Amino acid sequence: MSLQKLRRIDETRLEVPIDYKKGMLVPGIIYADALIEKDIEDRAIEQVANVACLPGIIRASYAMPDVHTGYGFTIGGVAAFDLQDGVVSPGGVGYDINCGVRLLRSNLMKQDVTPRLKELVSVLYNEIPSGVGSKGRIRLGPDDEKKVLLKGARWAVESGLGDASDLEKTESGGCLDGADPSVISSKAYERGRSQQGTLGAGNHFLELQYVDRIFDPKAADVLGIFEGQVTVMIHTGSRGFGHQVCTDFLEVMERAAGKYRIELYDRELASAPFNSPEAREYLCAMRCAANYAWANRQCIMSWTRESFMKFFGSSPADLGMSLIYDVAHNIAKVEDHTVGGKKMKLLVHRKGATRAFPPGHPELPAAYRGLGQPVLIPGDMGRASYLLLGTEKAMQETFGSTCHGAGRLMSRHQAIRKAKGRAIWRELEDQGIIVRAAGRETLAEEMSEAYKDVASVVDVVQRAGISTKVARLRPMGVIKG
Amino acid sequence: MRPFEVLDVSGDAGLRVFGRDLAMLFANAAAGLYDLVTDVSRIRTLRSVELEAEAGTLEGLLVSWLNELIFRIDAHGFIAKEITIRELRVPVLPADDPSGFRIEASLTGEEFDASRHEQRLLVKAATWHRLKIVQENGTCQADIIFDT
Repeated sequence: MSLQKLRRIDETRLEVPIDYKKGMLVPGIIYADALIEKDIEDRAIEQVANVACLPGIIRASYAMPDVHTGYGFTIGGVAAFDLQDGVVSPGGVGYDINCGVRLLRSNLMKQDVTPRLKELVSVLYNEIPSGVGSKGRIRLGPDDEKKVLLKGARWAVESGLGDASDLEKTESGGCLDGADPSVISSKAYERGRSQQGTLGAGNHFLELQYVDRIFDPKAADVLGIFEGQVTVMIHTGSRGFGHQVCTDFLEVMERAAGKYRIELYDRELASAPFNSPEAREYLCAMRCAANYAWANRQCIMSWTRESFMKFFGSSPADLGMSLIYDVAHNIAKVEDHTVGGKKMKLLVHRKGATRAFPPGHPELPAAYRGLGQPVLIPGDMGRASYLLLGTEKAMQETFGSTCHGAGRLMSRHQAIRKAKGRAIWRELEDQGIIVRAAGRETLAEEMSEAYKDVASVVDVVQRAGISTKVARLRPMGVIKG
Repeated sequence: MRPFEVLDVSGDAGLRVFGRDLAMLFANAAAGLYDLVTDVSRIRTLRSVELEAEAGTLEGLLVSWLNELIFRIDAHGFIAKEITIRELRVPVLPADDPSGFRIEASLTGEEFDASRHEQRLLVKAATWHRLKIVQENGTCQADIIFDT
């Protein structure tokens, strides 16, 4: 139904016209080709249009090809707001604040790992806390938790988990300025106390992979990537700490929306003007959660390296396990952009979308400045993940943003029904992929068929010019919650 | 009457909850939440906690109540087997009072232990997404979606 009202701009973009629904201030733009278009839900289109109604939105409400229905905002959504008249919305960031991905390289080749893969997956499964009710290896006292919120990944490095060089390869250096621990509720502190250094559950994972295809040899060389090489991908976020921050502030923002007379088409779009005390407090809290998440991924990466060192009896130099990059895909940030030829500071919400800054951008680490920002796109546990680069076109068209993953195709229950009577772990093992999961139904819910093929998603962002492919990574071993 | 059934929603978990009255609706919503997290039949009644939540609307109260339970699950691992609603206050004239609707309850259960209890979903929050409470013909029904 709703799809008929869309206008095709070009081969990779659909427009949700500004008259699609009353109250839209800008059009919606969905990155989708004819193949992706077939899977777009009506409700997701409606959500793209709802976001286009929020005050101060600049240029368009964007959706990436991995778009699907979220709460208020879609997953796969990008929206930038003017700092004078625009709003801040926790729904534009999501419950899992700074959910993100990091990718580690190594000097190991696939054939070095394959013979002992099962054993290695077991070691990592035991070393990295995951699953419902898992207790971390860290228990934070109140002072330490505040340090995590203020310092992010640097806190982990100062605690002996990793090197300063890891921070250069992390988006925003693994720490956002402007975090204020005094706005955090006691509930969020309590949830965060024993969850630092835990993977969580659901679609979060730690994955052993190998590079099976290089698309851009020059970039791969700079990034230290080559065919047959073993890599590790970590996907997790701010855990219960971030979920509580979002829960707390949705309530605050709902009251604020009433107070500032912001019309909402969905309560999960609850927002407040950027310059209001409510918005300032939310952003201070969100930054705390973002920093919690960067510390979390740093801890997990450090334990992964240690596990590899023990397992292979090798030195760090021999293993060469350095961080390629770490990206956030649920976050809101004040950034410099050019709109209509004018330089502006904007608040960019990315929910299930990844920053994709172009070559030469000052926020990139020196080593990558000539390349563009590495973008990490996890796929599902049976198919592939991708390493991409940000482009100038992304900067111009999408406020320097691109997709974040495969995007779900099936509901949990559809997936569980489809998996009934099948042993998903054995099917994967037959393909050479060893999986371990704590939850009884995690593997069924997370099976390949439950997701869009990430290749078709990545294909759209490449053809649209908002990212370029560097390498494809195939799963070897997967640890899930 | 079934206390609840699981709704099929893309990527997340939802519940359709039933009750003869609002107190039973809120108790069954809690039971449904615990059922998403683990097999409650294996939970023992070792510890009791007293809980309260308040909000400006009935829908808001359901979200606050469930988020209170999620907080206890996530921060303390507490899973309840027995849920007694001691008070459910609905103002006669819903006014602009952020604490007009109020619930008080006693819950008895134990701490989740991954070695003894089944791990189902990790529930992050109860959301406002498609939230609906209907009261008619002497029954109550609610739809609620959880972020998982």
